[in-house]
Amino acid sequence: MIELKQLVKKFDKALAVDNISFTVNKGEILGLLGENGAGKTTTLRMLATMLTPTSGTALMAGVDIVKDPIKARSRVGILFGGESGLYDRLTVAENIRYFGELNDIPLDVIKERTKKLADIFDMNDYLDKRAGKLSKGMRQKASFARAIIHDPDILLLDEPTSGMDVSAIRDVQDFIMTLKNQGKTVLFSSHTMSEVEKLCDRIAVIHKGKLVAIGTLDQLKQEHGTDNMDELFVKLVGGKS
Amino acid sequence: MKFKHIWTVFKKELTDIIRDRKTLMTSILAPLILMPILLLFVGGSSEQMAREMTENITVALTTESNTPEARAFLEEKLAKQNPDIIIVDAVSDPWQAIQDKKAKLVVELDKDFEAKLASAQPIKMRVLYDRSLTRSSGAVSTLQETVNALNQAIAVERVTALGLDPQILTPVITEPENIARSGDGNLFMMMTLPMLIAMLVSIGGIPAATDLVAGEKERMTLEPLLTTRAGKMSILMGKYLTINVFSFASVLSTLAGMLLAFIIKPSSFSLGQGQLGGFALDPLALVLSLIITLLLGMTFSGVQLALSTYARSFKEGQTYLSLLTFVVMIPAYATMAVMSNEVQLYMFLIPILNTISAFKMILGGVVNYTGLFAAIASSVVYVFLTLALASWMFNKEKYMFRS
Ligand SMILES: Nc1ncnc2c1ncn2[C@@H]1O[C@H](COP(=O)(O)OP(=O)(O)O)[C@@H](O)[C@H]1O
Ligand SMILES: [Mg+2]
Repeated sequence: MIELKQLVKKFDKALAVDNISFTVNKGEILGLLGENGAGKTTTLRMLATMLTPTSGTALMAGVDIVKDPIKARSRVGILFGGESGLYDRLTVAENIRYFGELNDIPLDVIKERTKKLADIFDMNDYLDKRAGKLSKGMRQKASFARAIIHDPDILLLDEPTSGMDVSAIRDVQDFIMTLKNQGKTVLFSSHTMSEVEKLCDRIAVIHKGKLVAIGTLDQLKQEHGTDNMDELFVKLVGGKS
Repeated sequence: MKFKHIWTVFKKELTDIIRDRKTLMTSILAPLILMPILLLFVGGSSEQMAREMTENITVALTTESNTPEARAFLEEKLAKQNPDIIIVDAVSDPWQAIQDKKAKLVVELDKDFEAKLASAQPIKMRVLYDRSLTRSSGAVSTLQETVNALNQAIAVERVTALGLDPQILTPVITEPENIARSGDGNLFMMMTLPMLIAMLVSIGGIPAATDLVAGEKERMTLEPLLTTRAGKMSILMGKYLTINVFSFASVLSTLAGMLLAFIIKPSSFSLGQGQLGGFALDPLALVLSLIITLLLGMTFSGVQLALSTYARSFKEGQTYLSLLTFVVMIPAYATMAVMSNEVQLYMFLIPILNTISAFKMILGGVVNYTGLFAAIASSVVYVFLTLALASWMFNKEKYMFRS
């Protein structure tokens, strides 16, 4: 479970995240929808403990990100951006192992989990190849495995499909479903309604750092009296700008 | 901060960089191969130059003064006295002849030189040389020495003929005696080696540093890294250690390269300019100098880490760090010609100059312990300051997430 409590982030001038509170239930997939610059990345970076909130806090599987960021981190896996974020000169297995070790997972457990993940993501053929030599799709899968090697309860995905082709997007969507099946809590951001609509149990819409709506798709449609997704999105973030 | 995490980061970074052929080539392999080539080449050519000035001094007469008597005089009085002097065919265009290496010097004798000689009048020998060519200008002094010896011999003859003691010709006998503590050949080493060590240890970590933070930001690996249980400080220290390793490795490989040159040809070390020796091989001074070098490397690793953190992208990181190279080069080159006895105490307090000064003294055979200890004390402060700067930057959200 993720609980955001009056989360605020102020940069030099800009108020990037303005008093956001909501809850993502355990095992739920919540889509964080917002235009460019709405504050999605900043919110997720705070939840991942990379940025310290200006005020407010959040509980990640019960652990306070401000009071105990290190412990909170062990509950969280992240996948930020469309790029895979692997070390090209390390093999896939080495990449995975590095993040496992830094999350204090014993080596034998890392090995065992790597094997399992290799089966799940069909990576056995290239586990010992250098990441830089692989195709985009293979790298993508390797970065999924890297993100969950420490078996986190919560996954934070920041625009995981941005700049990807159709088949890569399909892989990401499969990955998110895999996570759901494992009972993990997923918060992922996007700036396109159609993507969120397909995968999410609920949607939170933010605009200029503020939470403007949250609910299931049906609830949102009903509230705003429209069936058209794009129109709904425009209604939610438009008008107020 | 946990040692286990630092070690994991350090091991990974080392593996990562070692697998990068480009970095490995520039920071380790290149000095190892280039140093011997450079030293052997420069050493070889300057040795050759020294030989050109003292050996095989070809002397030609101008066509106007080319008489059998003149030739005989040169053969008899000069070439016979000094086997390095060789009389060659007369030339009509002295400048061209020297350019064409037909002769190093061209001389012209008075037409009536024999008569003058017989009547004990001075004869004139014009020596034409080209000052722009070392082989020609250097040969002048060799010829001069031979002529001096000839003068002395003739003078003794004449004085003896007059029934006087030839001793009256030399009222003062000088006896120069070299009491330098260091060999002639140390000069070149004193100019280059300290500069090289200080520069390499200051810039050797640059390729690694650029990759380690700026590169990581660009590859988007920094964010997942910062979300692991390893705290920022452990990650920072792991990277800091890696940069240090490369700073020292580049010095070691350069020294190894020089050693290789020395093994192949010992004289390449002094560029053939004489003997090496008389170093202050005082173990304590040597150890202190190495510590100063180590601390300099650490100081600059910190600076590099800070710059790489400050940079928005890999490219920007490269720009800042190549600017750092210039900052390092300026004091290094500026003090190149400073000799060991000219080292000032304040130089020990300035990064780069402290290392240069320490090694110049060792090579020059003098040791100033006050300076060495002052250098260590100040360097420790610099190491802490730069590491503090790097970690301040690393902890600053403004610099770490500049998207
Ligand atoms: N490190 C930073 N320093 C200053 N301002 C920032 C920083 N990161 C983001 N911002 C600003 O905060 C706002 C929200 O940005 P961001 O969270 O990246 O939005 P999104 O991910 O929804 O596109 C933007 O106006 C952006 O310019
Ligand atoms: Mg974003």
